[in-house]
Amino acid sequence: MKKMVIGGIILIVALMAGTYFVAGDAFQSDDYINTLTMIGALAIIAITIFTVLKYVNQIKNDTASGELVDENWDGIGEYTNAIPSGWGIIFIGTIIWMFWYFFVGYPTNQFSQIGQYNEEVLENNAKFKSVWENPTDETLKAMGESVFLVQCAPCHGVDAEGINGKAQNLTHRMSKEQVLSVIQNGQQKLGYPMGAMPPMMAQGADAEAIATYIAGGMKGEAPVAFAACASCHGADGKGMNGMSPNIAEYDEKLVTKVLEHGKKGVIGTMPSFKGRLNPTQEKAVASFLTSIKAGE
Amino acid sequence: MQSNAQLEYDYSIVKAFTFATILFGIIGMLVGVILSFQLAFPELNNLAGEYGTFGRLRPLHTNGVAFGFTLSGIFATWYYVGQRTLKMSLNESKFLMTVAKLHFGLYFITILLAVVTFLMGFTTSKEYAELEWPLDLLVVVWWVLWGVAMFGMIGMRRERTIYVAIWYYMSSFLAIAMLYLFNNMEVPTFLWSGDAPSSLMHSVSMYAGSNDASVQWWYGHNAVAFVFTAPIIGMIYYFLPKESGQNIFSYKLSLLSFWGLMFVYLWAGGHHLLYSTVPDWMQTMGSTMSVVLILPSWGSAINMLLTMKGEWQQLQTSPLIKFMILASTFYMLSTIEGPIQAIKSVNAIAHFTDWIPGHVHDGVLGWVGFMTMASLFHMAPRMFKREIYSKSLMETQFWLQTVGIVFYFTSMWIAGITQGMMWRAYDEYGSLLYSFIDTVEVLHPYYTIRAVGGLFYLVGFFIFAYNIYKTATAGRVLDKEPANASPMAS
Amino acid sequence: MFHWLEQKPFFFAVVLFLTVAFAGFVTIVPDFAKQSQPTVGTKPYTVLELAGRQVYIKDSCNACHSQLIRPFKSETDRYGMYSLSGEYAYDRPFLWGSKRAGPDLMRVGNYRTTDWHENHMMNPSDVVPGTVMPKYPHQFTNMADLATAYANANTQKELFGVPYDTDGMPKLGSWAEAEAQAKEDAKLIASDMKNQSVKDAVANGQVPEIVALIAYLNSLK
Ligand code: HEC
Ligand code: HEC
Ligand code: HEC
Ligand code: HEM
Ligand code: HEM
Ligand SMILES: [Ca+2]
Ligand SMILES: [Ca+2]
Ligand SMILES: [Cu+2]
Repeated sequence: MKKMVIGGIILIVALMAGTYFVAGDAFQSDDYINTLTMIGALAIIAITIFTVLKYVNQIKNDTASGELVDENWDGIGEYTNAIPSGWGIIFIGTIIWMFWYFFVGYPTNQFSQIGQYNEEVLENNAKFKSVWENPTDETLKAMGESVFLVQCAPCHGVDAEGINGKAQNLTHRMSKEQVLSVIQNGQQKLGYPMGAMPPMMAQGADAEAIATYIAGGMKGEAPVAFAACASCHGADGKGMNGMSPNIAEYDEKLVTKVLEHGKKGVIGTMPSFKGRLNPTQEKAVASFLTSIKAGE
Repeated sequence: MQSNAQLEYDYSIVKAFTFATILFGIIGMLVGVILSFQLAFPELNNLAGEYGTFGRLRPLHTNGVAFGFTLSGIFATWYYVGQRTLKMSLNESKFLMTVAKLHFGLYFITILLAVVTFLMGFTTSKEYAELEWPLDLLVVVWWVLWGVAMFGMIGMRRERTIYVAIWYYMSSFLAIAMLYLFNNMEVPTFLWSGDAPSSLMHSVSMYAGSNDASVQWWYGHNAVAFVFTAPIIGMIYYFLPKESGQNIFSYKLSLLSFWGLMFVYLWAGGHHLLYSTVPDWMQTMGSTMSVVLILPSWGSAINMLLTMKGEWQQLQTSPLIKFMILASTFYMLSTIEGPIQAIKSVNAIAHFTDWIPGHVHDGVLGWVGFMTMASLFHMAPRMFKREIYSKSLMETQFWLQTVGIVFYFTSMWIAGITQGMMWRAYDEYGSLLYSFIDTVEVLHPYYTIRAVGGLFYLVGFFIFAYNIYKTATAGRVLDKEPANASPMAS
Repeated sequence: MFHWLEQKPFFFAVVLFLTVAFAGFVTIVPDFAKQSQPTVGTKPYTVLELAGRQVYIKDSCNACHSQLIRPFKSETDRYGMYSLSGEYAYDRPFLWGSKRAGPDLMRVGNYRTTDWHENHMMNPSDVVPGTVMPKYPHQFTNMADLATAYANANTQKELFGVPYDTDGMPKLGSWAEAEAQAKEDAKLIASDMKNQSVKDAVANGQVPEIVALIAYLNSLK
């Protein structure tokens, strides 16, 4: 019996330690749900083992006895023994608890899961208020990366390179193909003050030259035809202080515009993230994205 | 009561259902093992085109083991326990014999059709009620046939008082009849197809959205109650005292556990809908009633353990007793695990994770599987009139499967809790710490351990099937029916 | 003791049945009508979306994916606004699922797009390395069952009063009209796709399963 009890304790400890060890990174002790779950898990295994051991002890050391009922079914008899009192008491106890819970503890006309949710959100916001109010550049970049990995990486890839052309490669502004397509078709989606980008601003060899120039990062001499673009995007391509998109590099404005409006282009469609991120998080992704370009 | 020393029980139906139990057990568990390997090694999804993907196979597993394996076991033991504790033989009534044969035949065809239709993608998507409407109709027919057989047999009984085991089989029949009908209310769409050439198989649920969910989990939870719990308790109430030669510890405990279980179970279905869009009060009801449910559940298990008072040596020497005692233990484990997972705050983590399949398999492998196999082991020498072929194979099977369950349950326990906590984790900036795929990748080792555990259990089941086959064909012939302990060659 | 009841098995059965039967009615019936009210703005599925939903059910995506966002901050941050009962008013059957081997899809239409689904369904691990989701190439060659989807919608309209063909709601009309409309809708989806054989099929008036499925996934908002 002693051996069994020790074995039981070892099993309980091993299981709990294993769980704690593996879930460790995710275990946050200020989340009471986590704590309650761990307690629940412990209760499951501990109560089962000790109750069963109690009865195993009786199997080993007790003897069966009692008065038999009159009936006998295919050789099976039944004692009229009283119910185990512990079992009976706990049964009644849980019934009382149930009524208490339902009518006194959490009366259902007063408890609401949505109310609970609202509280959770308030608490959470309060907790991170200081981080969100005056984030340093470092904080923004780190926050941006974590948001990116959860929200954006499924399309852009964890390295932001666009998963073999399945979405925008965010370490590089635009490809020649993309620029050509915009030149040919125009574009109107991002909601810049300048409004729409008209189609056919350049053609043939001019368009080729412009596209090569922009895709190459606008280095060296601008092709003559670029003048047509400069009227809106500025000679440096930086979008004239936010009047039109910066086509030279990623900037915060572009990222927030894309997040707000989504974007449809030659590669595919990027959904709008309007309302899914809070303003600090949007700033943070922008800051992260502009930083990875810089590190190229 | 007249003496019935001469009563010859008729085991032909029992044998047929025994065969079905083994056949569907193999199919169902083989698919379960494939599923668990697919989650560990996803390339395995595409070995058989669209027919081998996880989604197509999953209903095949759940239905195969619940309605193939478990129900066959229930029917096999019903026709055995029923005849013996009611003291009547099926061959006393041509009518009942015909009904029972039809019951088996239609049942068997239905399960085979289920396999085919699931592979083809005919499913209504509601868990444990996936069968499309034509098969539902078949189910209703043989369920009614079972009821006719059951009440017919009870009507012919020579034992005035019906035994506890029978109460549980009756509850299964009555409750499932009601649950199945209400949850499968669906309209074949070809009836209102306009002139569109609609599929004949397709149907649409009579309930929508949250209502559909409420009905479904009222059903789903109680399908567990009246397929995986009540009839299995019925089995242990017969086979444990019979095999061990002990008297049931307490009639009063049987009585309170039975009526307690019957009353409380039906209120607890709300624990599948915690934090969903059904009303708060319904959820609270499900949650609290689940906790109350521990006691009537444990009552039966305790009654069984106490029945074995003073019989430690039987537990050491008989693998059959071992199966049954460990089954009670796993039953206790899953009936306290369930209620604790039903506490709202715990369910916030447990729901949607692998901890739930973990909980499920504590019950189904440890309790349903062990009890079903133990019952067949006990019946085999009586119906084939031969000694069990090999005790050492039984021992091997016992340890292999026990280790398999421990692998299953520890890995899914850890996997589920880890995953649940990762979904909720925030970093120091107030954004989610893990992307979804992080929480998938972390599970890989646990999925692998589970798959290996499942494989152990399956191999054990093959050993079981072989042992029963050998018993039926090559076991030493017995000249007299054993009273209690089943004879087995070592 | 109670043996008197156990000696009257048919009466026993009646008592037993009543014991198990009434709980269901007490818990399910009171809020039944309330729960079937749609939220403002919720619309029934179009025929193409329904055909996609049937594909979703046929391949049991619900085995791995839930469609129920619980009111926890960690879920609303990941998936969007928590679910409301009325949003499911036209879901027959409901598809909440009970296990998340993959993420929730209740509002996946808000943050994934046609081209992404196209890539992902063809080979998920191309897009998300480490995923356990199966490939579904057969959805690019199997054709969606529009006729059954129409019958499905029509049954809901005629039998359950789902408001097709009313103001601001999807139009159903006759089978011929509905089929034509679904094929139009399919063209819109296909125009955002890259797979040439799918595009050709749609141009030829066929609707591969993948097109219907994407229409359905995009409708989840
Ligand atoms: C009339 C003003 C105007 C002119 C001229 C113009 N653009 Fe634009 N361009 C815009 C506006 C406004 C947008 C943003 C459109 C939107 O909302 O999507 C834009 C967008 C773009 C984009 C897409 C940026 C992105 O990331 O989505 C590219 C590339 C571009 N322009 C290149 C050019 C080139 C090359 C030329 C000359 C051949 C040119 N533009 C001429 C106004 C102009
Ligand atoms: C469903 C897939 C998807 C998701 C999720 C996604 N994107 Fe995109 N994104 C795209 C695609 C596709 C493009 C390319 C569109 C095109 O063809 O120009 C793109 C383009 C972009 C661009 C470049 C736009 C331009 O004009 O060059 C930025 C910036 C961007 N995404 C940022 C993000 C951020 C930040 C997130 C997460 C908060 C995100 N994306 C999430 C698919 C996605
Ligand atoms: C074996 C489990 C499994 C099955 C079956 C499955 N999926 Fe998935 N699904 C996943 C996993 C894991 C992910 C997360 C990783 C990824 O994006 O691939 C996922 C992701 C997705 C996503 C992306 C959601 C998001 O927020 O990133 C969509 C959409 C999706 N699945 C649709 C489907 C459809 C439609 C089916 C059925 C035809 C299906 N899945 C079947 C496991 C599965
Ligand atoms: C006191 C008894 C029990 C209670 C209160 C209980 C409770 C629960 C809970 C809370 C869940 C999880 C719901 C979720 O969050 O998804 C669950 C799932 C499940 N339980 Fe139990 N459980 C009990 C006993 C059992 C037993 C004995 C078995 C089987 C032998 C079993 C089989 C299942 C199954 C199959 C599911 C999965 C349902 C699904 O598909 O989602 N349960 N149970
Ligand atoms: C060889 C042994 C078995 C293995 C390896 C196995 C494996 C599995 C797997 C992988 C799943 C899917 C879990 C998921 O979706 O994540 C599953 C589900 C399930 N299995 Fe098994 N299984 C086995 C035996 C059984 C038996 C014997 C039964 C019943 C008697 C059973 C009943 C179920 C049920 C009810 C579910 C659904 C659980 C849920 O929805 O939560 N299984 N099984
Ligand atoms: Ca059905
Ligand atoms: Ca499930
Ligand atoms: Cu349940």
